[in-house]
Amino acid sequence: MIKYNQFQLANGLHIIHHFDDSTQLCVLNMLYNVGSKHENPDKTGFAHLFEHLMFGGSINIDEFDTVLQDASGESNAFTSNDITNYYLTLPANNIETGFWLESDRMLSLDFSQESLDIQRNVVIEEFKERYLNQPYGDVWLKILPLAYKVHPYNWPTIGKEISHIENATIEDVKTFFKNFYCPNNAVLVLAGNLDLETCKTLVDKWFAPIPSQNFEKPNYSQEPKQTEARTETVYADVPLDMIVKAYHMPARTDEDYFAADMLTDILGAGKSSRFYIDLVKNKNLFSELDAYISGDVEAGLLMIEGKLSKGVSMETAENAILNTLEDFKNNGVGTNELTKIKNKSETNIRFNDMTVLNKAMKLAYAWVLGDIELVNTEADSYLKVTEADIINIANQILVPTNCSTLYYLSKQNDTK
Amino acid sequence: MTLNRKISPNVIEIKSIHIKEAQENILSNGIKIYTINASNEEVIKIDLVFDAGINVQDFKSQANFTCKMLSEGTSKYSAAELAEKLDFYGAYFQTKNTSEEAIITLYCLNKHLTNCLPFIVKILNDSIFPENDLEILKKNAIQNLKVNEERNSYLVRRAFNQAIFGENTLYGSYSNISDIESIQKEQLVDFYKNHFQKGLKYILASGYVDNETIKIINTYIGSNTFKVYDNIAKKYMAKRTEPTDLYIDKINSVQSAIRIGRRLFNRNHPDFREMQLLNLILGGYFGSRLMKNIREEKGLTYGIYSAIEAYPFDACWYIDTEMNNELCETGIKEIFKELARLRNELIGEKELKTAKNYLLGSFLRSIDGPFSLADRFKILKDFDLEYQYFYEFIEIIKNTTAERLKELANLYLKEEDLTSVIVGTK
Repeated sequence: MIKYNQFQLANGLHIIHHFDDSTQLCVLNMLYNVGSKHENPDKTGFAHLFEHLMFGGSINIDEFDTVLQDASGESNAFTSNDITNYYLTLPANNIETGFWLESDRMLSLDFSQESLDIQRNVVIEEFKERYLNQPYGDVWLKILPLAYKVHPYNWPTIGKEISHIENATIEDVKTFFKNFYCPNNAVLVLAGNLDLETCKTLVDKWFAPIPSQNFEKPNYSQEPKQTEARTETVYADVPLDMIVKAYHMPARTDEDYFAADMLTDILGAGKSSRFYIDLVKNKNLFSELDAYISGDVEAGLLMIEGKLSKGVSMETAENAILNTLEDFKNNGVGTNELTKIKNKSETNIRFNDMTVLNKAMKLAYAWVLGDIELVNTEADSYLKVTEADIINIANQILVPTNCSTLYYLSKQNDTK
Repeated sequence: MTLNRKISPNVIEIKSIHIKEAQENILSNGIKIYTINASNEEVIKIDLVFDAGINVQDFKSQANFTCKMLSEGTSKYSAAELAEKLDFYGAYFQTKNTSEEAIITLYCLNKHLTNCLPFIVKILNDSIFPENDLEILKKNAIQNLKVNEERNSYLVRRAFNQAIFGENTLYGSYSNISDIESIQKEQLVDFYKNHFQKGLKYILASGYVDNETIKIINTYIGSNTFKVYDNIAKKYMAKRTEPTDLYIDKINSVQSAIRIGRRLFNRNHPDFREMQLLNLILGGYFGSRLMKNIREEKGLTYGIYSAIEAYPFDACWYIDTEMNNELCETGIKEIFKELARLRNELIGEKELKTAKNYLLGSFLRSIDGPFSLADRFKILKDFDLEYQYFYEFIEIIKNTTAERLKELANLYLKEEDLTSVIVGTK
């Protein structure tokens, strides 16, 4: 059970406070309700590039990191399809420095051309390091445009292509800031050894003076129901063939979301999962085979991906996956299997809630989903799921016309 | 009164640190259990530590495969049944091999502990290493190795460790495909008998570990089936190596992976803690000189860092980065420039203060929560140290000077002592 208080400033900034005196630390987590899905399709990768610029100095503070490090603090951030999340961890008695830093960069960045030039290069190197120079690194660059034809989930947060990042201008940066980085588009979480009264005083002092902004969230189209199986074949310099199957699934706020999550656990989580026992161990068609969900706020993807054992044909491998899915749909979930998955969810939730940083992020994310109490009802949402729910969702989504399949083939096979 | 945003809030420096120390208990059979009882959630992590590291193996991959195969079947349960039982209680079972130890870890909710431990006991008493499971594991391990060998970051690490420690030494040894292929069931059975079944070094339990929990652990692991075993006579033959420059050509790389460094001393050396600070200033945090110069000022890379890796019998220090093939030369020049600056110039007062404050804050974060506290305690055990080591750390870091750090740079960060490895496309 995570206890919290919440309140809102006149400028629209929402604040969540969670007190935990078992730690000497305090976390300040600022979530802006903007992600790569809000980008212009011709200027992708921008939300993430912007996240880098947030560390490049703000209107009154030249060096964000030096100030924070002087106060014995540390920070980082991440961007997803849906959100951009910044977090600072400080000794609780230095938390005001966190307020100073975070409020100043909400007030205004210093918008330097030099900072933009450098971070553009850094992000381009990140693009190469993580997506181009890794075996199988470009799988998401390939599968997303196959699965999404109109919804902006069709590009990854790093962007569609390097040129989009290269072409970003300082005007783009200013517009993006004005549109999205305002108190009425954000939630601030304070979690740790900081009492509510001090928290309120500091919030008033540092954030109340920041004006709210009029802004409009860009409209984007919803993905129509997929009606035909989609496939794509690519060849790459990798040692093993890989298959990736992406099925559309319900949004995070849909009650079927939990059943879909549990479905992937039954199929592919751990050494007692169906894929592992049947296809990795017994038949050894795959060296690894996983099932997981993309975990997006809106309708996301249920993913199945595996590397084929040497010598196994793609057709054999794919049929084996499909047979396992059919078998599951026809014969259902075992009672033990269901209890097992529920017990696993409980363990995951309880271990996750061990640190103030995790709790802070979870609270902020629940606000995005529209109900902070989700942090405490999440466990029940998993417990409530029945065998029938899981079979229903499997029958709904694990069908060929709802699937995009990427055949990622090894060039090295050809030469042998 | 309007708020003056130019002025920073008052910063309080970390003066002293309180560390919640591990408590020592002894199970009925004499095995020591160290506990860190510091959780509000009823969750527990139990590490069973064995003298079954790579340093006591007779064949390459023997220790590693024995460990991996522990959960692959007992005389009563198949691998699938074992996994099913532990998964049923929502537990996580992991095995880990280090150069000196094998560690078996159980994560679970306290309410399921009595259901999980019997399976751990079976794994420790009665593993049978089925041949079929071994063959699949070997095949998959070979395939994973092939994927890893496509990663420049893996290749650079392997080549660097081989170069500075020596290819057939404890810390420079890597299994190749034929090593994995030649692993036999009998070798695993032998290793299991000689290094797992002889007994445990100790147990480390963290999370919610009250007396009741210790009693439960005692019921299962405190029985006479288990003994204390710690072979003090460790074999480690350090090999003399010369600094070298290696270039490994990897066709079609977009970026080159670079690692530059040397062998160093470990935590038992009096200069270690000050070297941690020096390393931090060079490349150990976001505000480090390498990050500022090479990423934040020149945009040459997504990341660059330096680190000390300390092992019980040896250690190394290195700088690691990946950058564009064409920018490599520029990047390396800048790296050497930064090293020269540390040797030739005093670190400025402000920079030193920032680094010290950050390092102390980072220590404070590293003792937050039961699992972090357990990690800290494990360091003490690994290097045969007392908590005093950490309390002294605070004092040493506070008191060290720019002069002293320059002296250390001149002793330990000399260009002629460094080995450099690049993996990329020219």
